[in-house]
Amino acid sequence: MHYTPRNYGSKGISLLTRESWLFLKNAFGSIFSREFIKVLLPLLVLWEIVPRLNIIPRTLIPTLSDVALAFWDLTLNKGFFLHIIYSLGKFLAGLLIAIFLAIPIGIFMGWNIPIRKHTLPLFQILAPIPPPAWVPITIIIFGIGLPMQIYLIFLGAFYPILFNTYQAIKDTDPRYLSSARVFGASELTLILRVYIWNALGAIIMSVKTGVAIALVMLVIAEMYGGRSGIGYLLVEAKDFFQIPAMVVCMLTLGLIGWFSIELLKFAELKLALWKVGR
Amino acid sequence: MIEARRISKFFSIVNKDGIAEGLTACLSVSLSIGKGEIITLLGPSGCGKSTFLEILAGLQAPTEGEVYIDGVRVLEPLPSTRNEMEEYRKKYRFLSPLANDLIRDRPKHDIAMIFQDYAVFPWMTVLQNVTFTLKLRGLAHVEREKQALIYLGKVGLASSANKYPSQLSGGMRQRLAFARALSVEPKAILMDEPFAAVDLLTRERLQDDLLNLWKSSGITIVMVTHDVAEAVYLSDEIVIFSPSPGTIRNLFRVDVPRPRRRDDPALAEIQERISRLLKYDLDNESEYSI
Ligand SMILES: Nc1ncnc2c1ncn2[C@@H]1O[C@H](COP(=O)(O)OP(=O)(O)OP(=O)(O)O)[C@@H](O)[C@H]1O
Ligand SMILES: [Mg+2]
Repeated sequence: MHYTPRNYGSKGISLLTRESWLFLKNAFGSIFSREFIKVLLPLLVLWEIVPRLNIIPRTLIPTLSDVALAFWDLTLNKGFFLHIIYSLGKFLAGLLIAIFLAIPIGIFMGWNIPIRKHTLPLFQILAPIPPPAWVPITIIIFGIGLPMQIYLIFLGAFYPILFNTYQAIKDTDPRYLSSARVFGASELTLILRVYIWNALGAIIMSVKTGVAIALVMLVIAEMYGGRSGIGYLLVEAKDFFQIPAMVVCMLTLGLIGWFSIELLKFAELKLALWKVGR
Repeated sequence: MIEARRISKFFSIVNKDGIAEGLTACLSVSLSIGKGEIITLLGPSGCGKSTFLEILAGLQAPTEGEVYIDGVRVLEPLPSTRNEMEEYRKKYRFLSPLANDLIRDRPKHDIAMIFQDYAVFPWMTVLQNVTFTLKLRGLAHVEREKQALIYLGKVGLASSANKYPSQLSGGMRQRLAFARALSVEPKAILMDEPFAAVDLLTRERLQDDLLNLWKSSGITIVMVTHDVAEAVYLSDEIVIFSPSPGTIRNLFRVDVPRPRRRDDPALAEIQERISRLLKYDLDNESEYSI
């Protein structure tokens, strides 16, 4: 049996396409299901017709074609996709920082009582402050550049991930801990092989919540400062009263949120294989 | 080999009115178990058998009393004076006394335990469940899988090695817990109702397997069960717990020579006496006082 490297490569690529296809089907297949198409098509037609018949003034509710044209215009003249990439970049940066800080802190807080007692009250004091309330002070400290935007996104995702991870780790079934301990597991092994796996579902769930709030904070951050991103385009469109452009931005933001959530669901499916059985 | 000296365990629980109450799970239980003996604990539900077993294994700290395994104390006794309290607090400020070590896998005692609800890890495959415990016992990587497969074969799970526990039946999970505990070849094994979830025929087969293993390895077995016939058939000594608070009510030695026959009249007689005793306790629970 000889496998040339090339063989491996094509195998890897075919695996990748298969997985991506599976992902797309799982995530967005529901739109194109036979059932939903029957709802979607009439809705789209109505969307086109109702403003045209002036049942609702077209200046307030643009038609589907207006929105499509606005999308085209944004793409050609405003570098719409570049703005999407800016937004995604900030979003990912803030989210990843939140994940990489909140999950370990949450794990340590859930695992060890002295650590919990020293840290938890601090977070309990800070967490209830609604993230948007941080905007003014953040602008003063960081200015209105990238750091401020990333910080706000981070802030939105941090607390939900932290608290849910902490709670899940703390609630680990003591029997699992006992049964590893009796065979000699060290605390490190317990964390790596028991606590984390037991809490995995809850941790991914918490990241989903974090994504939702981080998205809110992305829009707020971009509306308040900076010259890039979809939130910025949204405010700009408002200033010029371009309702179709605003609708394009809103739909795009929704799509980003949906896509992230589905990506996490897919990750959960792949990681938590053992749950598929039941 | 295992010696429990005046073990008591109190829990404080909050009742439905929000008032804290004391609950006595074990009261002054002393028991000495010789090397290679088979001991069963019998008693009504909720009398503290599982708690006692976990205390023997060092997985719960007793409120009072001490456990020794081969002369080594399982857990440090709780402090009684103010000074001791200070020192105890300082010593266990970061890690609870139940923890083994911060980073090094190292069992405190050479015992294994099977839990009442098996507590096999659902996120590991059958094989990984066993190799994981072998890793904790410091077995080299290459030997782990070999040894795991030997023991999985013994309980008839070799063909399910790559399944996850959620894909197994209750009885199979039971046998997995069995294989996991036996694979580390401990000096003593503590079992909490290990045969509760399997049908009668499988149960009898597993009991005989256990006896064979016991004969060939001289392992010490401490077992909780509700099945009086099983207790009588397997044990050297039967410990009867009274209804809560759990204290030792009676000790029965079963001096019938091995190998035993299940239909031996001598066994039947002991079984009859124990059943009557348990029934009496249940009937008189309210009047029973310590
Ligand atoms: N962590 C705990 N906190 C409070 N009470 C507890 C705790 N663990 C056990 N108990 C109580 O201690 C008593 C003894 O429990 P235990 O599980 O040892 O009973 P058992 O004899 O094993 O019963 P069974 O035969 O049903 O398994 C019960 O009344 C139980 O409610
Ligand atoms: Mg029990």
